[in-house]
Amino acid sequence: MADREMQRTIIEPNGHNFQYWKDIWRYRELALNFAKRDVTVRYKQTKIGLGWALISPVINMIIMTFIFGNVAGLSSEPGVPYSVMVYAGIIPWTMLSRSVQGGAGTFISNAGIMKKVYFPRILSPIGSAMTNLIDTLISCGVLVILMVIFHFLQGFVPSIRIVLIPLVLIWALILGTFAGLFLSAFNVKWRDLNHALPFLISLGQYASPVAYSVNANFGDKWWLPIYCINPAVGVLETFKWCVINDMKFNTMAFLISIAWTVAVVPLGVHFFRKTERTFVDIV
Amino acid sequence: MVDERPVVVDLKNVKKKYVIKHNIKKPETFSGKLKLVGKRILHPSQRVEKEDFWALNGITFQVRQGEKVGIIGKNGAGKSTLLKVLSRITEPTDGRIEILGKVSAMLEVGTGFNDELTGRENIYLNGAILGMTRAEIDAKFDDIVAFSEVGKFIDTPVKRYSSGMFVRLAFAVASNLDPDILIVDEVLAVGDTKFQRKCITRMMNIAESGKTILYVSHQMHTIRQLCDRVIVLKAGQVIFDGDVEKGIEIYSESADVNVNTVMNFENHKPRGTQSVVVQTAELVDKDKFSWFYNENLKFKVKVKVNSDCLNPFFKLLVKDLSHRVLGSAESDFLGELKCGEEKEYTFTFHNADRLAPGKYVLGIEIWRKNDGLVTIDDIVSEFFTFEILDGDSEQNGVPELAWSEQRDGYMMMPNLDLEESAVAE
Repeated sequence: MADREMQRTIIEPNGHNFQYWKDIWRYRELALNFAKRDVTVRYKQTKIGLGWALISPVINMIIMTFIFGNVAGLSSEPGVPYSVMVYAGIIPWTMLSRSVQGGAGTFISNAGIMKKVYFPRILSPIGSAMTNLIDTLISCGVLVILMVIFHFLQGFVPSIRIVLIPLVLIWALILGTFAGLFLSAFNVKWRDLNHALPFLISLGQYASPVAYSVNANFGDKWWLPIYCINPAVGVLETFKWCVINDMKFNTMAFLISIAWTVAVVPLGVHFFRKTERTFVDIV
Repeated sequence: MVDERPVVVDLKNVKKKYVIKHNIKKPETFSGKLKLVGKRILHPSQRVEKEDFWALNGITFQVRQGEKVGIIGKNGAGKSTLLKVLSRITEPTDGRIEILGKVSAMLEVGTGFNDELTGRENIYLNGAILGMTRAEIDAKFDDIVAFSEVGKFIDTPVKRYSSGMFVRLAFAVASNLDPDILIVDEVLAVGDTKFQRKCITRMMNIAESGKTILYVSHQMHTIRQLCDRVIVLKAGQVIFDGDVEKGIEIYSESADVNVNTVMNFENHKPRGTQSVVVQTAELVDKDKFSWFYNENLKFKVKVKVNSDCLNPFFKLLVKDLSHRVLGSAESDFLGELKCGEEKEYTFTFHNADRLAPGKYVLGIEIWRKNDGLVTIDDIVSEFFTFEILDGDSEQNGVPELAWSEQRDGYMMMPNLDLEESAVAE
């Protein structure tokens, strides 16, 4: 036994990060297992199964198109059917909001396991990010179908920039998850966030360009920069820009969201690491 | 002899602090309330009183490769906290631990099992949570299924499993871990007795394969079976480290053992119907807790009657220090008891020539039998603790071996009648 190199573990208050990152590699399969569990469990005992991942965004799209496009009579981006524009907003928004929630709730929803077994805790939010990615890919499939339908109905042609979509999605995933991890620290101590977050997210849906176009409705207003402080705006505008050919690139919103991302990733890691050390004592 | 095996677990002055919060008592008067409001505005952080609690208070020990160390101590002594710190679930407040080799901790069986998933899916999930790779689980899959005895139900969601099947599967996964150091917290007490025996055998096999084991348990007989060294914890500190039997003895002394000859049970945990309850008990003619094995024990017991009942009787249970019942004795009927009465009885436990030298715990219960049905009115599980001394060996002048529970058991039977007979041709 002594002939092979044995792994050495040092346990002390505020232990070193190096060992942690090594452990992540050792436990890497676990994140995948978490994602697999989440997806499998979610659709167990359902007839339609994974089909539900299609149905909810589609229904959302129909409702929003009706309310914003027909009832409120807002105009779409130039040269694009309202429903395609809405759907191109729903995909990144859903991903963003779910990853914030997944990140923020990670300690609470996995407390049972975390109190009994050690593993690098960050694998649990990585697992939920993976689940999120799977759902989003399914939604993207619907977007493709929509675009094909409208191509034949109205001659809609998407932008070539559509190949950039994976990059935008990964950006949304990173921004959302790390913002969530930043919040997770507070969620452990004060559960208020658990109550406030769903509410803030449904509010955010209206404060972000999910179901309407920024450019066509208030692109020339003086308060546009204030509106763009919302980190979701840049992500959503960029995603839509990837799909819609004639849309103007919203540089300001893009830069602000990138700045948010750069700030939130180290903050998220810092607070998450700080919390995970002893959170089982509080939860 | 110098132990040359490498040190694989090395704890140096490990401490763990918890902060306990007490709510400040609410003032009764209006002016008191106003003062409190004022205080809260001035010092918003001092809403509750905080107190430090050291669950571990300077633990230092080393474990060498291949040692099987039992960690014992009464509830709240710090055993679970120690395991949590060792298995990296929470960080210590102070001190340093160095571990050499791969650690697996079984603090609970079935951690992360998901009700909706099938047995097969749960094996992979649980295995991954415990640190196994997919390839490792693949290799051990058949062993796990065979050990768990769930057979054809492997593709059924575990929510449809019986609780026995569930724990068997969970234990099967956990016990197939292949670490260098195994940390186990009382998980062997799962399933039915047959499965428990299987679990212990599995643990002993793991132990024999040269792995290092840290094992927490309240069951002294499994500690005896598995461990070759015992660490006794008390109030977050190591009070003994060494020989198993000696450690168990110290543990049983440090545990809540009654040392008075007059005992008050008025506030004991109510179990049974409580129609008749034991209030106080006293040892008659005795001021110590050791007897020679041929002596009798005489008790005086006061009971309180909470509702009318006919013919209850005492049942005295003799148990070993891990509360395994070794034998019992019943008293005569107490007659007709009326609600509200307090009565006092004296009874004698005739031990003469029966219980072997050693330490025992007595439990007392009040029973009733009606039409073949048994009603239990009260249970005091730790009534008295006493020791039977080995007295004869010196008297006879024959150099005899001291009685050993492990070798000789708990009963000292009467001598065998021996006759020599002629050898048949």
